[in-house]
Amino acid sequence: MTEWEEESLEGRYYDWPLFKRILAYLRPYGKLVAVSLVLLLVVSVLNLAGPYLTKVAIDDFIRLGQYEGLDRIALIYLAVLAGAFVCQFLQYTLMQYIGQKVMFDMRTQVFAHLHKMSFRFFDRNPIGKMMTRTVNDVEVLNEMLTSGLILVFSDLFTLVGIFLMLAWLDWRLMLVVCIVFPFLYLATYAYRTRARDALRKNRAHVTTLNSTLEENLSGMTTVQLFNQENAQYQKFAGINRDKLKEDLRSLHYNSIYLPSIDVFSAIGIGLVIWYGGGRFVQDEVQLGVLVAFFQYLQKFFEPIRDMAEKFNIIQTAMASSERIFELLDTPEDQPNPERPHSVSQIAGNIDFENVWFAYNKDNHVLKDVSFSLKEGESLAIVGATGSGKSTIINTLLRFYDIQKGRILVDGVPLKEMNKQDLRRQMALVQQDVFLFSRNIMDNIRLGNTSLGLEEVESVAQSVNSHHFINNLPFKYEQELIERGSSLSMGQRQLISFARALAFDPRILILDEATSSVDTETERQIQDAIHELMKGRTSIIIAHRLSTLKTVDKVLVLKHGEVEEFGTRRDLLQKKGTYYNLLKLQSDFSKGTV
Amino acid sequence: MKRIKAFIPYLQTYRREITIGIIALLVTDFISLVIPWLLKSFIDLLPQKPSGSELAWYAGMLFLAAVGQAVSRFGWRKYLFGPSRKIEVDILNKLFQHLQTLDKTFFQNHKVGDLMSRATNDLRAVKEFLGLGLLVALDAVVVIIAAIALMIYLNPQLTLYALLPLPLVSILFFGFIKTIGVRHTAIQEHLAKITSMVQENLAGIRVLHAFAQEENEKKRFDALNREHIARNMHLAKLFGMFTPSLVLTIGIASLIAFWVGSKAVIAGDMSLGAFVAFNGYLMMLAWPMMAIGFVINLTQKGLAAMGRILELLNSRSFLVVSPATIPANSLRGEIEFRELTFRYPGEDNPVLHSLNFRIEPESTVAVIGMIGSGKSSMAQLIPRVYDAPESSLLIDGHPIQEIPLDRLRRHIAYVDQDPFLFSTSIRTNISVGREDATDAEIDDMVRCVHLTPDLARWPQGLNTVVGERGVSLSGGQKQRIALARALIRKPEILILDDAFSSLDIETEATILSNIQRLDQAITTILITHRLSVARQADQILVMEQGRIVECGDHESLMKNEGLYQRMYTNQALAQEMEILLQ
Ligand SMILES: Nc1ncnc2c1ncn2[C@@H]1O[C@H](COP(=O)(O)OP(=O)(O)O)[C@@H](O)[C@H]1O
Ligand SMILES: Nc1ncnc2c1ncn2[C@@H]1O[C@H](COP(=O)(O)OP(=O)(O)O)[C@@H](O)[C@H]1O
Ligand SMILES: [Mg+2]
Ligand SMILES: [Mg+2]
Repeated sequence: MTEWEEESLEGRYYDWPLFKRILAYLRPYGKLVAVSLVLLLVVSVLNLAGPYLTKVAIDDFIRLGQYEGLDRIALIYLAVLAGAFVCQFLQYTLMQYIGQKVMFDMRTQVFAHLHKMSFRFFDRNPIGKMMTRTVNDVEVLNEMLTSGLILVFSDLFTLVGIFLMLAWLDWRLMLVVCIVFPFLYLATYAYRTRARDALRKNRAHVTTLNSTLEENLSGMTTVQLFNQENAQYQKFAGINRDKLKEDLRSLHYNSIYLPSIDVFSAIGIGLVIWYGGGRFVQDEVQLGVLVAFFQYLQKFFEPIRDMAEKFNIIQTAMASSERIFELLDTPEDQPNPERPHSVSQIAGNIDFENVWFAYNKDNHVLKDVSFSLKEGESLAIVGATGSGKSTIINTLLRFYDIQKGRILVDGVPLKEMNKQDLRRQMALVQQDVFLFSRNIMDNIRLGNTSLGLEEVESVAQSVNSHHFINNLPFKYEQELIERGSSLSMGQRQLISFARALAFDPRILILDEATSSVDTETERQIQDAIHELMKGRTSIIIAHRLSTLKTVDKVLVLKHGEVEEFGTRRDLLQKKGTYYNLLKLQSDFSKGTV
Repeated sequence: MKRIKAFIPYLQTYRREITIGIIALLVTDFISLVIPWLLKSFIDLLPQKPSGSELAWYAGMLFLAAVGQAVSRFGWRKYLFGPSRKIEVDILNKLFQHLQTLDKTFFQNHKVGDLMSRATNDLRAVKEFLGLGLLVALDAVVVIIAAIALMIYLNPQLTLYALLPLPLVSILFFGFIKTIGVRHTAIQEHLAKITSMVQENLAGIRVLHAFAQEENEKKRFDALNREHIARNMHLAKLFGMFTPSLVLTIGIASLIAFWVGSKAVIAGDMSLGAFVAFNGYLMMLAWPMMAIGFVINLTQKGLAAMGRILELLNSRSFLVVSPATIPANSLRGEIEFRELTFRYPGEDNPVLHSLNFRIEPESTVAVIGMIGSGKSSMAQLIPRVYDAPESSLLIDGHPIQEIPLDRLRRHIAYVDQDPFLFSTSIRTNISVGREDATDAEIDDMVRCVHLTPDLARWPQGLNTVVGERGVSLSGGQKQRIALARALIRKPEILILDDAFSSLDIETEATILSNIQRLDQAITTILITHRLSVARQADQILVMEQGRIVECGDHESLMKNEGLYQRMYTNQALAQEMEILLQ
């Protein structure tokens, strides 16, 4: 059976390629990013202007006791402030906009990619996990883009700006400050490797946590009816504990790394006092220069501290993006052919030629299945549950690819057609009905908005669903709740029945479509079904053999093998399995068993 | 405020850590005030040509201060952020536990995606508010107070001038804050919509793909996300004004200080060192100003999120809790409906109308009726998925509400028409019914529900993992596992709600007779569409539009010439088959 995928705790991507890939999402907005960067540059420069103006004021005016000119400087200051205000506003909104756009791109990309995945993929991956990718992980990434990444540039600008300023003021003093950089690098490196590991594991636990939560919420009634509350809680709390452990671990690294920068900063300032002070004493530097130097130096370590803080956000985002990219890199395992056979309108001939199929390696569910149906014919598939009836349908709609043999529709192998075009020609009513939390009309027509209320109504009428829908307070506009759970099971089946017919398919497939419908209602639907089967190829799976009164051909399936196949008349005359099945049911109904 | 209050108990759990954190924060702030002070005295000292050792002393002091700052910074990071993360976990656990107490009505009114969004996105906002938000707010307040105090100490008059533009801040504050909150709520709500759509798409992916709806869904999702951008930008534009305005205010303050102060220095009213220090302190205000913007954003987001979480925590189950509880260590299995009229919570029309009947212990009752006639609604009242009106439903003669809920459910097994299986192994799924079930008992059950032939075909047998909701099983396999899970509880009351719809009639008959052979007294309620199965019951209830229209055993109902007789003959399976088989 299918391998259920546990969240792996391992890393798969290297930092730099990963980071470049994230940056690639900014490419479509290159111009906007550039504008944003320019604005940032301007803001940084304007922010630097303050101390510089102070320095000018001190050295050129205050110390000389000069009043004139101070007003001018004050005016310049005011202009600078106003400029900074405007630029900051523009920059902030622009950055938010870019972040939102990138998030949009990424989220819709993930969503679209999920829709490309095959059923095998969905069999293996819990909903909660895929939800975490599409919603939460993308959200984390957005944080990095808006409050992390671009601001790093601003910090870099500021840093470079201050650096140049320092060099210009006194390059020797500046060189002294540079001594601390190698240490800074080492600290950063040590932090990065550890934090990344913790964050990665943290994200993995978050995913598992969300999957557990999703499952529990979906199945809460079952949990409660079986008094499983405590057991499930223990499980949940356990995962939560694991998550917290990693969370606190990354916090711990972070709490060490960030303050270490203060120490470096202090060493820098201390060096300046010691060295610069000495040089001042020897009259090699001016007082104003020294004062400005201190001011800049304090500002100098701000962006570094800031970047360290951002570094944390970036690391978290990298851990998330790793998982997003892992999903995006999952190849489409049943791709459409490059040049598909056109299937705009099919006749409806179906051929299964020695089909072998296994959901999992070698455990074949279909074994050498062959049968053929001509256009307009109807087929009944009978057999015990688990014999592979639904599986035949699954392969016919190409939900799963077969391993051996061929399936042909109108003489064309399935693999040579576009999956979606093929499916558009068929309509399937499944045993598990899934209804969406939309109104009834949208549940019947789905995205096919060309159908109006009248068409939908007439479809519903033809399968006898109209009556109960019409009794609902809002009729066809009635909003259903999740999975349609305010309807009785049979009512849900009727809606899904109407859905299939609304698509006016060439091939109609009913997989236990009326299993939850009472015999009375079923009898009423029967006539409609027969009407609909006319001129279409149809495949019907049902346990009530009465449903199968009017089919042309019958296929009896046993453990995935075709036991009998032929016209109904032939099989009855043969007095084989089919005959016995009918006899048994008849005996049951008579109450003689 | 009420929203914050609800979270105080969570904070209190960690008051030790938080206290340490706050102290560390204060120390950090204190030291960061000492540093400019040191610099000031250093600069003031410079014109007197200090000696090398004096310089070294200043450098050393500064270094020491920095080390102290680093240590205290470590302290608050660890002890202020730590609790916020622990609280996040506490709240989530609490939320999970609370959701477990809520009834089906609640879950029908809240989409899974919406609940998930609250438990993830909103919780994250709360965590950030509790950690970062409170920290930054505290820090900002401390810094502001200290900086202003020191400024006053240095030069009260200049301080007054410098703080002239500050009232502007409060105007900004009250002008923006409410709107920011409203817009945050709008965003969080929308995020929940996105989450719900993703969840529903994934849950219904098989249907969507069967009908080739990929493109349509992508379009819907696109539109939904575009709306999300719009809502975010709506906020961003507002907030984009907010922070720069605060920064501007402080800029103007420093401009005034600069202008007035420089003249004071020239006039000799103020030392140059004091001027530099004053400017330094004023600049310290720049950060808290930006921080205020940041905090307000976090706070509004956090409060919006808290409100949404509290909405869940304040929800209560619709199930009545009756004070008079009876022990009910075991049940006899007698069920009585007394003038029971039931409407779903929030609905106007009843779905069940004055039902009156009694089910004897250990008997088998079949319920038949057309779709939507209320069979499942009636059955779900017994394990109290929904609550019957008081005193209208009695078990063993006691009103059902008087039996403790967990006891009641322990004695009842309800097999749904659409069973929910967990994404674990078959074995675990069965032992959900009773955790202490031995392997032998599980094997017995597997045999009883006729699952043995299926298991034989799977390499891992009972340890086969069934996938989410049991996707990798056939319909009949799911139903039988659900049945085994129910039977292994050894229930006194067994409700089979169309539980065999995917089984062939032969297997169904085998299983039913197996159940009857279990040496156990079980009251069985059997909802079915197969009259051939129903006819064997001790009593048959025929339902129509929420009413019991006929009641009795097969023979008497056939004589009745009512609905049952009509359905039975209409089904006419036997005759048709006779003809077929000729
Ligand atoms: N998605 C799946 N992954 C793995 N095994 C599956 C999957 N779906 C069905 N099976 C297995 O394949 C066999 C046939 O199932 P199915 O075709 O659904 O039977 P039915 O005849 O009742 O429709 C069963 O044993 C079932 O467990
Ligand atoms: N949760 C619900 N909220 C509102 N109405 C419901 C709910 N569940 C079922 N109903 C309605 O109650 C009626 C009876 O449903 P149900 O008892 O499931 O019928 P059935 O006899 O087919 O089992 C139906 O009309 C259905 O639409
Ligand atoms: Mg099936
Ligand atoms: Mg029902």
